[in-house]
Amino acid sequence: MFNILWSLFYVLIFPGALFTVAVGLLLAGIDRKVVARMQHRIGPPIRQPLYDFLKLIGKETIIPKAANKLAFLGAPFVGFVSLALIMLFIPIFGFTAFSTSADMIVILYLITIPGVALIVGGSSSGSPYAGIGISREMVTMMAYELPFVLVLLTVAKKAGGVSLAFSMDAIANWQAANGSMLFQWAMIPAAIAMLLVIPAEVGTQPFDVAEAETEICEGPLVEYSGAPLGLFKLNSAMKMFVMSALFVSLFLGGIRTGFILIDAIIFVVLCIIVTVLCMSTIHAISARLKIEHLFKFYWTFVAGLAMASLILVWCGL
Amino acid sequence: MIQHFPVAAVMLLFLAAFLVEIFGSKNAVVRNVIALEAATISAVLIFALVKPILIDGQVISYWMGNWAPVSGYAIGIGYEIDALNLFFALLVCATFWLSCVYSIAYMKNDRHLGHYYTLFLMLSGSVLGLVLTGDVFNMFVMIEIMTFASVALTAFRNDSDFALEAGFKYLVIGSIGSSMTLAGVALLYGQCHTLNMAQISAILAGRMTPTSIMALGLIIAGFGVKSYIVPFHTPAADAYTTAPTSISMVFSGMVNKAGVYGMIRMVYVVFRAMDKSSVQMLLVLFGAATMFIGVTMALTQHDFKRLLAFHSISQIGYVITAIGLGSALGLTGGLFHAMNHTLFKGLLFLTAGAVLYATGTTNLDKVGGLSKKMPVTAACFLVGAFSISGLPPFNGFASKWMVYQALYTRAMESGNFVYALVTVVALIVSVMTLASFIKVTQSAFFGQCPAELKDTKEVPFSMQLPMIIMAVLCVAAGIFYKAVDKFLLNPAVNASFNVTKYVDSMIGEGTAAAAGLENILVNPVEFSFWNPLVWLVLFVIVFAAIALVILYGNFARGKVLEPDTANDAKYATFFSGEQEEFSQVAGSDLFWGFKKDWKGYYKVLVGLHNGNVNDYSTMAIIAAAVIVLCMFIFMR
Amino acid sequence: MIIVNYIASVFLIVLGFYTVCMKKNLIKVVLGLGIVDYGVNMLIVSLGFNAGGTAPIYQLSDLLNGVAPTFFVDPVPQALTLTSIVIGACVDAMALSLVIMIHRKYKSVNADEVRRLRG
Repeated sequence: MFNILWSLFYVLIFPGALFTVAVGLLLAGIDRKVVARMQHRIGPPIRQPLYDFLKLIGKETIIPKAANKLAFLGAPFVGFVSLALIMLFIPIFGFTAFSTSADMIVILYLITIPGVALIVGGSSSGSPYAGIGISREMVTMMAYELPFVLVLLTVAKKAGGVSLAFSMDAIANWQAANGSMLFQWAMIPAAIAMLLVIPAEVGTQPFDVAEAETEICEGPLVEYSGAPLGLFKLNSAMKMFVMSALFVSLFLGGIRTGFILIDAIIFVVLCIIVTVLCMSTIHAISARLKIEHLFKFYWTFVAGLAMASLILVWCGL
Repeated sequence: MIQHFPVAAVMLLFLAAFLVEIFGSKNAVVRNVIALEAATISAVLIFALVKPILIDGQVISYWMGNWAPVSGYAIGIGYEIDALNLFFALLVCATFWLSCVYSIAYMKNDRHLGHYYTLFLMLSGSVLGLVLTGDVFNMFVMIEIMTFASVALTAFRNDSDFALEAGFKYLVIGSIGSSMTLAGVALLYGQCHTLNMAQISAILAGRMTPTSIMALGLIIAGFGVKSYIVPFHTPAADAYTTAPTSISMVFSGMVNKAGVYGMIRMVYVVFRAMDKSSVQMLLVLFGAATMFIGVTMALTQHDFKRLLAFHSISQIGYVITAIGLGSALGLTGGLFHAMNHTLFKGLLFLTAGAVLYATGTTNLDKVGGLSKKMPVTAACFLVGAFSISGLPPFNGFASKWMVYQALYTRAMESGNFVYALVTVVALIVSVMTLASFIKVTQSAFFGQCPAELKDTKEVPFSMQLPMIIMAVLCVAAGIFYKAVDKFLLNPAVNASFNVTKYVDSMIGEGTAAAAGLENILVNPVEFSFWNPLVWLVLFVIVFAAIALVILYGNFARGKVLEPDTANDAKYATFFSGEQEEFSQVAGSDLFWGFKKDWKGYYKVLVGLHNGNVNDYSTMAIIAAAVIVLCMFIFMR
Repeated sequence: MIIVNYIASVFLIVLGFYTVCMKKNLIKVVLGLGIVDYGVNMLIVSLGFNAGGTAPIYQLSDLLNGVAPTFFVDPVPQALTLTSIVIGACVDAMALSLVIMIHRKYKSVNADEVRRLRG
């Protein structure tokens, strides 16, 4: 019984749903603010994503004629649940919600679920714009998956799991013993690759081909309105946090004060830095890519960086 | 009593095959009753073996005509069932039973159904015989019956355009494979002077000669043809596409599992060659090529069934890679993935059949918006699609997880970069699988419904039932994989690593010890990410959320408005302010950016699948030669 | 000389594979499959052959009296060959019937024209 209560606490409050939502909205707000400042605008207040979300919750939800109701309404929920769940598997420095359950493959697959939810939801709306949008979303997914996988393998090899290969705990422990991954020079290309994977996964400016507002009217989201739309927006804010948290725990781990609260605060600060670095900055300085350029970019340049790192690590550096 | 069950199950199917032909060629009821009865009874007979073999750990041996071994030499044909056989036999039984149920409604508009059920039962019987037998030559005979029945069933709808052609190609490549198996069996006999697997295993233990290496190479090539690993896969794609869908399901569910079984049985048990790194590397590389080429070909297909066919090939690649690793985790993953492949690919083929039955086409460019017309089929399809793409918590995830772990653990242990690359390929293939199922989802089930499909109806219940059963099994195997591992996979893995019991119960106590065979105990896999409580809480939340959506259809203060009036523009699809019109993003329109970047690759690959039977056989023979040569060069 | 048999059987197998790979006529492809089968059958029969051995046919009384020959040709491969020949004949029959049907439908038995399924 006590166990179930703890599980509920983990899943619903910390580090699950509530924490992820809160930090995700914070990151989204900071992102918008920073981009605005870089473009010499004042920008919205940092709480703006929260206001947007609350406003959308109150709006009416229209289900188009061509849509499949269950998939149309269910998709955002599925994405939300899986995003809330990922944080249980990412160690916050020393702390993981379930110490035995940290595993990279689970994270890798759970991270694809929000994308799939977006695709299924968009596809079920029956709109041709959504059709084009999901096609692009899927190609983007295939594009960043290769470098992402290579980065994960590199880190796993470097940390050298004990019994099973892809243990996040092993990585956290390795960093606690040997300092952060980022300070291993062989890991630097992988870190850069990972920083480039994050914006594509989240779908921010240069890599937001799937939701290109100006050409295909937000693609998969074109028919969405009201609460489901709000939930999708929330999902993408949560994704920001999840991805930057993954970066922090893969490359910037090893800081252990022993107090979970202080750890969490340092963690969030590092996440903010990562977000500003890889999402806001790139967003502010670049224009949207074409889908085929995006694919080529990820499979040559980014994957090449990650591969270089993997080979270096394999050679024992 | 119980030792008669396996042979009775096989014979019953063959007997029923003839009974159907004699009594059932005119009367549909008699025909269906005979076929269904035979399938049910034989499935029950096999399922009755679960307790003694999987739980109590017995090995059942049976000598045809009671020709027991004389002074340690096997002279009769023996059936021998250990956990490995039984694991595959269960898959086979489940597949043909479900397919039989599905056939009754699905095939009812075809002619010559007497022949159909005859061939169907012969196919079932031969595959069941193949996995249960303990005799290499008997195995070859079963392979031949299997090939016959499959070819005839592939060409069954011989008024369709492609069936004959597909049947002929299947026959040619299949016969090449059978001839190789036969040559391998002959060499094996020449080496050991016995055809009994248990005895060959005892004789060959640690004593590989050039002849037996050659035999191993030929047999790997032969079973490679039967499991359609890559250069041999060409006829499979055609056959799966043109055969009636109930048969496509049988092909992917049990015919290529028979090939996988043969591979495991021969390599692990009979030759005990899995500790050789050359064999491991060979199988892993073939597996990797299979999964990659299969999935990339699938991405360009516009035909639902052909797309599934290439996925079937690609998933077998995972299985071969995993069993090729030769580690306990790898074999567990491979067997698990084989089982899951039977479940989800059978399910997907059945949904494809349902689409064909309801709409009359499987061309993905011509269908659309079926999820509103066929909700059960669409839901089952999504379960199958998510399973095959390996999303948690469906079953594909659990088995793929094991495959990746096994691969990368091997890579780190051996320091061999090739295994790391194969891991990358496996992970990428998974996302490409997802992509091509998104394509089917978008173009067949979602999107807009063309005018000519407006009055499509859901398929009859007897076709829905197998789909629902398989969908439930997919989810159940994904959630309770710890139990699956404990009761099904681990006994099978132990059986393939430890042949002592197999040899002893067949030839006589002490044979294995005399031959120097030893036991290695394999423990169940530890699922480090498994925490039932988290998943339980998760499911409660997901179901609560979805129930909330369905029951109230209300979010917080907002209202969900459903289209009530037909012509309210508010509910029309957005068309930049124009009048709504039919516009469907169909199968071949998707993934444009990807296809453009991969143009060169696809040019080569499509050129290889050029439909010419000569080229296909050349590919097969070259691949077989490569396998045999690799065996000779590296296996020392 | 038993070695001649092995060489001949390998030659037959290679010849059969060559026919299957190179001949465009589907009937010739079927013939090639047949030749491969014969090669394999020859291999099996040769495996059981013992130069100078007698036929493995004798009665129970011979065995009991000890006058049965102890050096004889292995009968198992011959049984295998018989089975294999029967199977081979069935394969050929089925393949030829498919070729007939293909000819009706495609008006050709050229492998280059019987390839509507591709890509």
